Amino acid sequence: MSLPVGHYQYDRIDRDFLQARIAEFEGQVQRRLDGTLSEDEFKPLRLMNGLYLQLHAYMLRVAIPYGILDSRQLRRLGEIARRYDRDYGHFTTRQNIQFNWIRLEDTPAILRELAEVDMHAIQTSGNCIRNVTADEYAGAAADELVDPRVHAEILRQWSTLHPEFTFLPRKFKIAISGSPNDRVAARFHDIGILARPGEDGAPVFRIFVGGGLGRTPIIGEELFDSVREEHLLATLEAIVRVYNAHGRRDNIYKARIKILVQAIGVEAYREAVEAELAQMNLERYRLTPEAVAAIRSRFAVPLLEAPADADAVLAEQRRADPIFDRWVRSNTHVHRDPGHIIATISLKPAGGIPGDATSAQIGRLADLADAYSFGEIRITHLQNVVLGHVRKDRLRDLWLGLAEVGLAEANIGLIGDIVACPGLDYCALANARSIPIAQKLGARFADTALQAEIGALRINISGCINACGHHHAGHIGLLGVDKRGEEFFQLTVGGRAENGAAIGTILGAALPEDETVDAIARLVDCYLGRREGGETFLDTLTRLGHEPFREAAYETV
Amino acid sequence: MKLFELGERTAQVHDVLVTVTELADRDDARAVLLESADDPALVKPYLNRLELVVLRFPIFRDGRGFTQARELREYLRFSGEIRAEGHILPDQAAFLRRCGVDSVVLPKNGNGDPALWEKQLRQFPVAYQRSVLPERSVGPGLRVEEAS
Amino acid sequence: MKRPVRLEPGQKLVLTANRLLDGRTVWWGADGTWDLHIGRASLLDAEDADAVLARVVAEAQRDGVVGVYDTAVQAAVPPEPVTVREKIRAHGPTVHPEFAVETDQ
Repeated sequence: MSLPVGHYQYDRIDRDFLQARIAEFEGQVQRRLDGTLSEDEFKPLRLMNGLYLQLHAYMLRVAIPYGILDSRQLRRLGEIARRYDRDYGHFTTRQNIQFNWIRLEDTPAILRELAEVDMHAIQTSGNCIRNVTADEYAGAAADELVDPRVHAEILRQWSTLHPEFTFLPRKFKIAISGSPNDRVAARFHDIGILARPGEDGAPVFRIFVGGGLGRTPIIGEELFDSVREEHLLATLEAIVRVYNAHGRRDNIYKARIKILVQAIGVEAYREAVEAELAQMNLERYRLTPEAVAAIRSRFAVPLLEAPADADAVLAEQRRADPIFDRWVRSNTHVHRDPGHIIATISLKPAGGIPGDATSAQIGRLADLADAYSFGEIRITHLQNVVLGHVRKDRLRDLWLGLAEVGLAEANIGLIGDIVACPGLDYCALANARSIPIAQKLGARFADTALQAEIGALRINISGCINACGHHHAGHIGLLGVDKRGEEFFQLTVGGRAENGAAIGTILGAALPEDETVDAIARLVDCYLGRREGGETFLDTLTRLGHEPFREAAYETV
Repeated sequence: MKLFELGERTAQVHDVLVTVTELADRDDARAVLLESADDPALVKPYLNRLELVVLRFPIFRDGRGFTQARELREYLRFSGEIRAEGHILPDQAAFLRRCGVDSVVLPKNGNGDPALWEKQLRQFPVAYQRSVLPERSVGPGLRVEEAS
Repeated sequence: MKRPVRLEPGQKLVLTANRLLDGRTVWWGADGTWDLHIGRASLLDAEDADAVLARVVAEAQRDGVVGVYDTAVQAAVPPEPVTVREKIRAHGPTVHPEFAVETDQ
């Protein structure tokens, strides 16, 4: 069998391990049903295998390591949606997929179906090291220095059922990128890793620690500038060991590593990590070039061949079709190969549910990936889908194929590309519904010409302070709050996750749900009315400050 | 108290079990109890006479005991017995063993069934990271199995 | 998660949970069974609720339910929960009318 492009190919040893994990989980379910395990004991165990109990049913979060799938895997996800759920899946802000209507008793069978295509739900929740996320343009972007996926896979393996780090004070999220343009929000993670080439050819890693959103949004601080590849695992062991020993366990809202880093300071944290490293047997933890090469050899590299006139063909097609041209402008990114292009497929249809895809759409995406991008699919942390290696002269055919299943929305990076958590329609933790606000905003700004006119503007919506919708990082952020059983939304502006990461500023008192969409429309009008030259929303906000926007948001008619 | 051995070492019963602070005044003590907040480095002066370190888990979700065990093995080179007691689950058997724990005090409820602990110890044929145990590589990459 | 409830005039309490096997939202009826439809929920006075709740919680494992708690409803036919959260639990996600509990068999 040929290797999949873009992700690690399992072998028999990996498959045996997955089967053992399923058998273990099945035993845990059995012990829960017979009462040997209490719900308080079972809950952390099921969460470590991605199974939540939500408002209406169980929810299963399936891992998509570093966001990459092959078409066979994607097809299987569609089949699971059809067979065990209600014919759709929800792609999350951590590059995973969730099924919302799962039965506990079906879960072992679902896990077996996933394992047949080398997939699992391991550590997609729980107080352990979660699924590692990576740059959605990895291995394709022209601006990339190091393809981060081999090391993302190494981190996935290293963190899987780690004997010491499976009962941490709180969840632990790692992101890795190999591009100078941060597309993974590295500084909003417990550990953010930026890879770059080292002098000897092996990569070196810049490591940030203690970033995160949630109740206490904090931008991660640099712990080390240049960790050598051979010391990557030792360094991570030391960082997490300090956290496991000293992170707070008395208050879940103060249990993340960011609180510990803030409490003792990044210098003291660095000293503590160095003290661990000084006592560790570094040889034992060494990541050898042989191990890296062995894992790298399980990834296939796409053979990028395009006709010499591919670029010219695309240029001509864009001239001939302004609707296609608009999609190309918003939904593509420069590929490292001049004959190829990166296409982002929006899962944000106007008025639709951000990140949702029906099983029919999922199946079609798998077919299109086979036809146009080596069978490789990437899920982005903005809840969209990327085909990484599309020949330029075939891009229009792809776009036509997408249009047939309602996936040709031209809004990536624009106001319609809304990020939203599932919110109170599903989630047991939520205070307010995120999806209806996203749908109303999507409908309000449905006109693609208007979206292009507004330009780069990201809206993020979270249904509670856990911030799964990353509202702190939105250019406009909405946070749902509960006031005596009613839904209200707090507005923030000026957040950003990319280079120059910033946390949004709260504009004022939370607004009732039915006034929120109008308030955002007034914010946008304020920007359109006062921008100068080619300013983006963030540019205008930076120049004018918050006051005019605050006035616009709270202006009463 | 029913003990379960996670590995080869035979668990020893000690009549005298003291806290870390009591250790200095009790020359006869060969066994010490560490609470999850205690720094294992505190037992360093007494390593040559200690035969048993008991790690108490206040709740199974408190994973500090795993780090304590590794620090005892890796940093202090403690070669005596390490035991876990308190709220622990059979689902943690292999994790405990791989961090250097030799024995557990079996819980008094259904989680104390030795067959569950035995099964869990044999659940996974390989691991993806090094532990304190002697190990050898399995296939290419990071995977290891116990070297027996 | 139990929220503090102060009953207004015309309000009663109902008991709710999720089924262990499939996670579905259920409501406790006077005959001691759990039902998907809030219309069959037993309406409790505030002063009786604690005792009933304690009894029902003790039987949760046997009854195959998880996370039993009480919540306030308007004592109409059928009873209507007071909070948005419990309305959504009673009727299903607002964004998928086709999944409304009322249309379930």
